[in-house]
This record gives sequence, C-alpha cells and structure tokens, in this order.
Amino acid sequence: MSAVHRGERVKDLADVPSFPAVYAAALDPRSRRRAAEPPVLPAIAYRVRAVRIDAERARDFDHLLGGAATDIVHPGVLHVLAFPVSLALMARRDVPFSLLGLVHLRNQVLQHRPVRVGERVDVECRMRELRPHRRGHTVEVVSTIHAADGEIVATDVSTYLATGEQSSRNPSGDGAGSAAVGAAAGPGATGPGGSAGSPRSAGREAFVPPRPSGRWRLAADTGRRYAAVSGDANPIHLTALSARAFGFPRAIAHGMYTASRALTESRVDLSRPLRWDVTFDAPVTLPGTVLVSYQDDPSTGSVRCVGWRAATEEKGPRRCFEVEVTMLAR
Amino acid sequence: MLSGHDSDHDEVHTVNEFPRDALILGGNRIPFARAGGAYAGISEQDLLTAALEGLVARFGLQDEQLGEIAGGAVLKLAGDLNLTRESALGTPLDPRTPTIDLSRACATSLETMVHVSNRIQLGQIDSGIACGVDSASDAPIEVTPALRRILHRASAAKTAAQRLRALAAIRPSHLAPLPPRNSEPRTGLSMGEHQALTTAQWGIGRAEQDELALASHHRLAAAYEAGFFDDLVTGYRGLARDATLRPDTTLEKLGALKPVFGAGTPQVAEPTMTAGNSTPLSDGASSVLLGSEEWAAGKGLVPLARVVDARSTAVDFTRGDEGLLMAPVHAVPELLDAQGLTLQDLDLYEIHEAFAATVLTTLAAWESEEFCRERLGRGGAMGAIDRTKLNVTGSSLAAGHPFAATGGRIVATLAKLLHQRAAETGRVQRGLISVCAASGQGTAVLLESVSS
Repeated sequence: MSAVHRGERVKDLADVPSFPAVYAAALDPRSRRRAAEPPVLPAIAYRVRAVRIDAERARDFDHLLGGAATDIVHPGVLHVLAFPVSLALMARRDVPFSLLGLVHLRNQVLQHRPVRVGERVDVECRMRELRPHRRGHTVEVVSTIHAADGEIVATDVSTYLATGEQSSRNPSGDGAGSAAVGAAAGPGATGPGGSAGSPRSAGREAFVPPRPSGRWRLAADTGRRYAAVSGDANPIHLTALSARAFGFPRAIAHGMYTASRALTESRVDLSRPLRWDVTFDAPVTLPGTVLVSYQDDPSTGSVRCVGWRAATEEKGPRRCFEVEVTMLAR
Repeated sequence: MLSGHDSDHDEVHTVNEFPRDALILGGNRIPFARAGGAYAGISEQDLLTAALEGLVARFGLQDEQLGEIAGGAVLKLAGDLNLTRESALGTPLDPRTPTIDLSRACATSLETMVHVSNRIQLGQIDSGIACGVDSASDAPIEVTPALRRILHRASAAKTAAQRLRALAAIRPSHLAPLPPRNSEPRTGLSMGEHQALTTAQWGIGRAEQDELALASHHRLAAAYEAGFFDDLVTGYRGLARDATLRPDTTLEKLGALKPVFGAGTPQVAEPTMTAGNSTPLSDGASSVLLGSEEWAAGKGLVPLARVVDARSTAVDFTRGDEGLLMAPVHAVPELLDAQGLTLQDLDLYEIHEAFAATVLTTLAAWESEEFCRERLGRGGAMGAIDRTKLNVTGSSLAAGHPFAATGGRIVATLAKLLHQRAAETGRVQRGLISVCAASGQGTAVLLESVSS
C-alpha cells in the first residue's frame, strides 16, 4: 500500500538497484537531458517490495559508527537502504537535473517506530518541492519505509541542491570539473573551497565553535569503510585519486557517515519515535579531524550535535554539520 | 551510623552496621618503574608474583590458605584471564587459596581492597589479599577486528578449501597491529586532553600544578629517606625506589618543561600540563593484606587501620560539562555524608595524582559554593582542606602510576600513616582516599586507625 498521490505512477523495481549501475548511467553522456522551461518533476514513484534488512549489514553499520549491534536498525541503515532507489529515480531522463553535481544540503528522518533487524520492508521514493535556488534548484527526495502491513514506519527526506543544469541562468556555477556524481557528498560537493549555498553558509564567518566534547580522527579509509557498509561507493569518498577525478583535492567523508555517527553518539533511545535532522555545511576531508560537541536537553530527551573543523593558522573554524535528534510522543 | 566529629573525636570511632571489622594489616609493593625501563620484558604475572611473594615473606604467610585474593590489571592480555590466580600459584601461599580478577581502571586495586574488606566484614572470609598490577611496557597489542573475524571463520571451517577461502579475505590493512588506545572510546580525547579542558575550566594555573608536583617528589623522597617504605616496598630487578622519583627536582626544572596536554585546543588558552605535573606511563604491582580481628590476633599481626566505608560514582563526561576525572568529587561527599563527617573532620587525605591538576580541580570544586550547590546538591561549599594533610608522603606524580597498582600503594601507605599518627597523638586518625578512573568513574574510601 502506498501513499496516494494525484496522477502519480508507481514503478515497481525488482530489487534495490546497484550503485555502480546508477553511477554508470549518470556518467553516460546520453543521460544529458534537455532543460525544460519551467522544469517539472515527473509524477512517478519508485518502489521496491519486501526488502530484507540484513542482520550482518545492520551489525557492520553499528560497529563502524562505534555503537553496539542491537536488534533495532540504526535509522542510517534505512537511509542507505532507500538511497540507491532514490538515485535510480533521479537518474531518469525526464528528471530536469543531473545527478552530476548534486549536493546534499539537509536530511530528515522521521521514525515512527523502530525497525527490527531481519524485518522486510517496502521502500518508496518520490521527488517533490523543486524550487529555484541561486545556484540551481533544490529538490526533496522523500523515501518512505513501509512495514509488511503497509504502515509507514519511517520517512526519510533528503534535500539536494542541483547545480549546473541551469547554468545559462546561473553562470556562477563551479563548472563541470567540480561536479559530483551522486548525492551523499555533503555541500562540499560544490567543489574545492566552494560554498554550499545553504541558508547557513551566509553566517559561516560568524561560526564560533562551542567547547568540544569529543574528537573524531578520521582515517583515509573512512569513506571506503562506510562505502562497504552503506553500498554508497561514490568515487569522491573513496580515494584522493578518485576524488580528484571529480574535482576534489582529497576524498571527503560521506555526509550520512557523520550524521549517523552523531546519532549513535547521541545515545538516544532508538526504540522511541524520533526525528533526526541533519544540516551539512563544509565538507569533511579525509584523512581529517573533526571536533564535536553534544548538548542534551534532559526535559525532552533530545540531543544536538555540532561538528566542525578546528581553526588553522590560515582559516577560521568551519562548521561541517549539525545534527539534532528529537524524541517524539508515541 | 554515629558521627565522631564533635568533641569526642579522640574517643569515638565511626560505627558501621557490618557484623565485624575488616582490618588492614600491611602491604607490599615493588618499586614502580617507568614504561620501557627496569621492567621492560617482564610480564604482569611476573610483577604481581613479585609483589605477592614479598607480602608472603613479610607476614610469614607460607603455606597459608587465605580466604581470597582479589587482583586485577587495566591493560591486560586476553590470555591472562586468571592473572591473579596464576600469580598466586607462583607464591608459597597454599595453592587452595581462591582468587578473583576485577577491574575499574585506575581504581582497580582500591576496588579489590573494598571487595576483600566487604567479604571480611560480612563474615564470608577471615583473611585476604587485595592487589593490582599494570605494565605499560607489556601492554596487549591486538589484531584488527576484521582479521580476528577472518581467523575465527578459518578456524571454524570444515574443509581445507573453506579455510583457504576464509583466509583469502585477508587484506594488508587487516594486518596492522592495534596497541591499546590511549583515548576515551566515546570522545576520542586522551585523558590528558580531557583534564586539560577541566583544568582550563577551573582556571588552574601552571605554578600551582608545578608546586604540587614538587611537593610530591620531595615528600616521597623524604619518606624513603626516613625509612617509611622499608616495610612497604621490596626491591625488584635492580630497582630499590620508584624510578620516576626526582628528589632533587626544583620549580625551575619543572617550570622549564613544555606543556603537552591542551596545546592546540582553542578552549585551553594557556596550556599548563607538562610531563612534570602529569604521571608517566609506569610498570608495577602492589598488594595489601587484610584480615578480621581474630585472624590478625591469631597470626600475631598488629592491625594498622580498619576499612570504614567506600563509595563509587560516575559522571557523564561525554557531553563536556562534567570533567572525565571529576567523579571522586561526587563520591567523597556521599561517603562523608554516610558517616556523618565533614571534609574537615579528616586527619589525612590521599588524592590520587593522575595529574597535579586533577587534585587541584577536585579541591577547587569542593571549595566552590556554586559547584557544591548546583552539582552536588548541597547547602554550600564543602570548603578547603589543610594542604599539609594532603599526600604527605607523596603520591603518583613522584611514585609513578601503574594503573591497577596505585590503589594498593595508597591503601598500604595511608594505613601505616594512620597507625603511626594514632600512636603519636593518642587519638583516632581518619584518612580519606580518592581515586579517579578512566571512563568518568571514581572511588572514595574512608580508613580509620585502630588502637592496639
């Protein structure tokens, strides 16, 4: 049972698509589309039925992020489960932007009830809210996770900035060299030193880091290790060499790795209904060090985390992400 | 529980509701070495055996069957699961003496002492040894989790082909050895970096840290000179005194050292923590003999002190508003409240010098009206202590700090001090032990002299 959308077609996929196939399609020059005026989103949803949440994958995900392997699936697993489906959807030729240069600005997961390891769920992805942005367009990709009885157990909303395609009207684009294939790069995907154009970036100069409560020393293989558990093998995350091919001086951490790790470290009760909000700012380059600070709100059980790169002699501190986990009433 | 902090101080002992007392009868340790120093190439079992053998010899415990030996190590090899048992079997003690291995990071041998004390107080055993050992020189080095899992799969394989397939998954990156991490798993910050943040938060300066370190060295050196440790320490492997001890150190020498912790942390405006006012990685072992009154009398042993009470607390340091090493700040008032005592009712204080700044932030917190009201839920500040009663024979900055051996060192030292001072003054002497531990934990113990 899917949510009913007016005039929408639902396309059933036999299985979750593989990342390499989606990336290859995105790189295919024939996938270049005509810019429609005004651009519109196709009224279609992609669906995969009865996807089993693999116990080993859930365990590896938990372990990579420093958590204990529990029978409750980390909400980050739900995101990576839906991610290839959403990529396949966005790779369609009738979508008015290219996967190349997509920038992950924000992510929100609303989890109504926990998903158990081994559970079978349906995954549905659709796009909405295509809006002009000074550097292109923003679009929301909404993935819903349904239990066997059709009930929505979680909703994942990823907000992307599509750059470049509207370059005739936005000549300030970074150019093809800085485009990133895929979407999980974080705003740094705009290119070396580029600004995400997120609403927060305007206030970046004013970022005053709080007292750090922890430090992440991220090894050069952080992207490869997250790729192994998430399946997101976007080359910009894997090695400096493959990242350079897409205009990055170094590999950058998956945005959802930082977000998922912050969720694990927030130590919230994952059995309760919750909302997990993430905003990405500067990219986290690998190898690299990120300072983090957590703030509990004991009255609500909610936790906020901010992660940043410490100031250097040349540059001030740069906020990389903000994560907020809010406990909801049952 | 009866309080003894009024005018009857010299007559009245604190009273607890245990069936009987656990008495500290003495202790023995080996000198503490610097990591990579005199005990390099020596195992933890070697070190603990040496400490226990010295205790057996000192108290004539050959062929004695004790109620229990409780020991532990912080950096412990997986194969040493029965480290205390294996060590005890290497001594002339009756091999039928049971043992137990425990761990609470740097408070380990304070906890083994509480464990043995509890058993004696409850009448479950009549005698026991509390001990602890650590060797930073021989710390365990592990294989990566990925390699471990592959090797387990290979060993579970039924056929050679399956085994080969499992082993074929090994990648070069799996082969890097993993030394013990020196940072807190949940924050990625080392203990020194955590303390540096707490030090800056409390505005503890460099000079007072160096002064505390200097006092530690001078007092430990003076105690050795006076023969205080003659019946507490047995030489081992060419060491007769603790290798970290610098009797001739000066404020100038300490002041010349460069800060190591907190440098490069924007929140630490002026880093103050140096190798001189922080404990070095160390190797060593300690042991304490405890018994009931009857058992001690039967052996003709003179009790030094009795264990009055103990408390352990933990703080959530992962959010940064509580210091990693500040748990004892909470444990001590709990302990004192339970005994109806104030901080100033104590005759001696042993506050483990993980860093000079740890001692100073602990004292500052107790002196802070705001902290005591808001964090400890008290009516006001616990107040200052008489610094001349603090770590009077030096502490970890001078002696070194083999993690699980420190509690035993302090217990034996304080018990002897209390006994001596009770004899000198003719009054009951009370002493407090406060030890912080990794992962935001802490243990406090109250000892009291026993009059013969």
